[in-house]
Amino acid sequence: MYDVKIRGPLIKGNKTYHQITEDISRSLEQRPGYWWYITLLLCFGALAFGGWALFMTLNDGIGTFGLNNTVGWGWDIICFVWWIGIGHAGTAFSIFLLILGQKWRTSINRAAEAMTVAAVICAGFFPVIHMGRPFLAFFMFPYPNDRGPLWLNFNSPLTWDVAAISTYLTASAIFFYVGMIPDLATIRDRTASKVKKAVFNFFSLGWVGSSKDWLRFETLSWLLAGLMAALVVSVHSIVAMDFASSILPGWHTTIFPPYFVVGAILSGFSMVLTIMIIIRKIYKLEDYITDSHINAICKILVFISLIMGTAYTTELFIAWYSNNEYELFTFFHNRVTGEYKTAFWIMLTSNAIIPQLFWFSKVRKKLLIVFLISVIINIGMWFERYVIVITSLTKDLLPSNWADYEPTNVEVGLFIGTLGFFVMYLLLFFKFLPMIAISEVKGVLKHNDSNK
Amino acid sequence: MIVINSIEMKTNIIGIFKEEGLLISALRIIRDKNIEIAEVFSPYPIHEVFKIMNRKTKFQIATLLFAALGLVLSYFGLYWTSVISYPLVYGGKPYHSIPSFIIICFVTTICVAVILSVVAFFIRSRLYPGKKPTIIDYRITDNAFVILINTNPGMSSADIKTINSLMMENGAVEVIEN
Repeated sequence: MYDVKIRGPLIKGNKTYHQITEDISRSLEQRPGYWWYITLLLCFGALAFGGWALFMTLNDGIGTFGLNNTVGWGWDIICFVWWIGIGHAGTAFSIFLLILGQKWRTSINRAAEAMTVAAVICAGFFPVIHMGRPFLAFFMFPYPNDRGPLWLNFNSPLTWDVAAISTYLTASAIFFYVGMIPDLATIRDRTASKVKKAVFNFFSLGWVGSSKDWLRFETLSWLLAGLMAALVVSVHSIVAMDFASSILPGWHTTIFPPYFVVGAILSGFSMVLTIMIIIRKIYKLEDYITDSHINAICKILVFISLIMGTAYTTELFIAWYSNNEYELFTFFHNRVTGEYKTAFWIMLTSNAIIPQLFWFSKVRKKLLIVFLISVIINIGMWFERYVIVITSLTKDLLPSNWADYEPTNVEVGLFIGTLGFFVMYLLLFFKFLPMIAISEVKGVLKHNDSNK
Repeated sequence: MIVINSIEMKTNIIGIFKEEGLLISALRIIRDKNIEIAEVFSPYPIHEVFKIMNRKTKFQIATLLFAALGLVLSYFGLYWTSVISYPLVYGGKPYHSIPSFIIICFVTTICVAVILSVVAFFIRSRLYPGKKPTIIDYRITDNAFVILINTNPGMSSADIKTINSLMMENGAVEVIEN
């Protein structure tokens, strides 16, 4: 575990409690800069593209996708797994660091939790759209119906997925909101605007910060964290089982659940890093999201990336060691070499090799390089899902089944649309909610050597 | 600064501190003098305050019970739908297919425990949307640590004065009576 003395001050600049409130509330009280409006406009553009793609999907059906009889899952499932991975780390970040008593999480956990909720919404969108008739999405849930009543197939990992992801979204949103209640009260008590006061009063639920409430609040946070830590691990394991329980070469492996969970944490942590570097710069929060924070996330990324590298190598090794011709073909002639080799090598380089640069403290100190690597990991993780889904599906056990897959504009549009939604959500979050947990940061101030 | 004086219609003595350390030492001294402290307010949770105020919670037990309820409900839900209501063979598996039930039971247990724990927290702390807060001092959510003492008819003005001076001597920046 890190020690404050090793780590240096958690918050720089000899802040007082009042200064912390001022600094963090500033983004809510000032007009955002031009960059905010321009980015929002870009998001609307992306959402318009996504809207068109959604219209095409609803109007014409999923025939507008590049799918065929062989490749039944395409960009929508790739993007689903990518988003759910990103959605994972937000909560993983917040929860695991809370359980491990890492005080430095306080500057970052709020944005990570916010990111989780948006990413899981984006993820949930894809399976719903893939149904072709999204208005019948409620069929996925068990409810007393007039078809027998016919219930769901509870033996299917796809049904487990529905339970897991809806639980994860609910729990993440609750964790995000409950953690924010004291900060909403802070904004309520300092704002001069009547409208704002009324809104924040409504959502802060009458919080006054008494010791009774704080004790219950803190106990609840720990309990939710404990429950959700198990959930985080199980959700992506279940997503992995969607693949692993099939018999396709390249999917039918027992390594998938842990490999997916670690992959999710890698992509999520790198997204946290991307977002943190941006907001630290734009909102001038260098005193709160310090170089030490960036350094710590980079070190975690090296560790996770090593596990990813081990997973990739293990897959290749087992394919070779098993001497199973289908596995050998999938891994050595359709991934390492073959028509998808570019995607495979992008995946390997971005996720397992480039993050190794974080071993060097000089690299960890160069924010631009850290930012670029975090973006590269995100791209690499998308390619990982592409490699898994497409290589195995296009060339299955029977060569007469083999088919090519190319995404259509509609599929690309849906993905761009979710990216637009994600960024728009974050922009609104930065503008209207405290992006750093005010009360939690105040709580760690006493651990600051420079302050006390 | 004082907005509402609603703590059981008693008059209150409110000591405002600006430092956590000063608050804790003042609290200890006041407690040692056998003066009843009604409540302590702070901008963030302070463990020493919980100890001094002897605050305890049984939340863990409640959550455990909620989780047990979630487990039982989800298991019997699955059993009833798969075995009793509409038995249907999927892939040659038995109706009562325990391994397939494990994951949904696990996830639903967490879901029920999370939702009910939060609801219990809201009920227990009497938090609800739009509640008009009893704000002792606006600065509590910013940078003020507050000790609230309720005076009662048995207290003489000398007692109240003693409490006042105790707070001031031990680091309060302001003591308000209302």
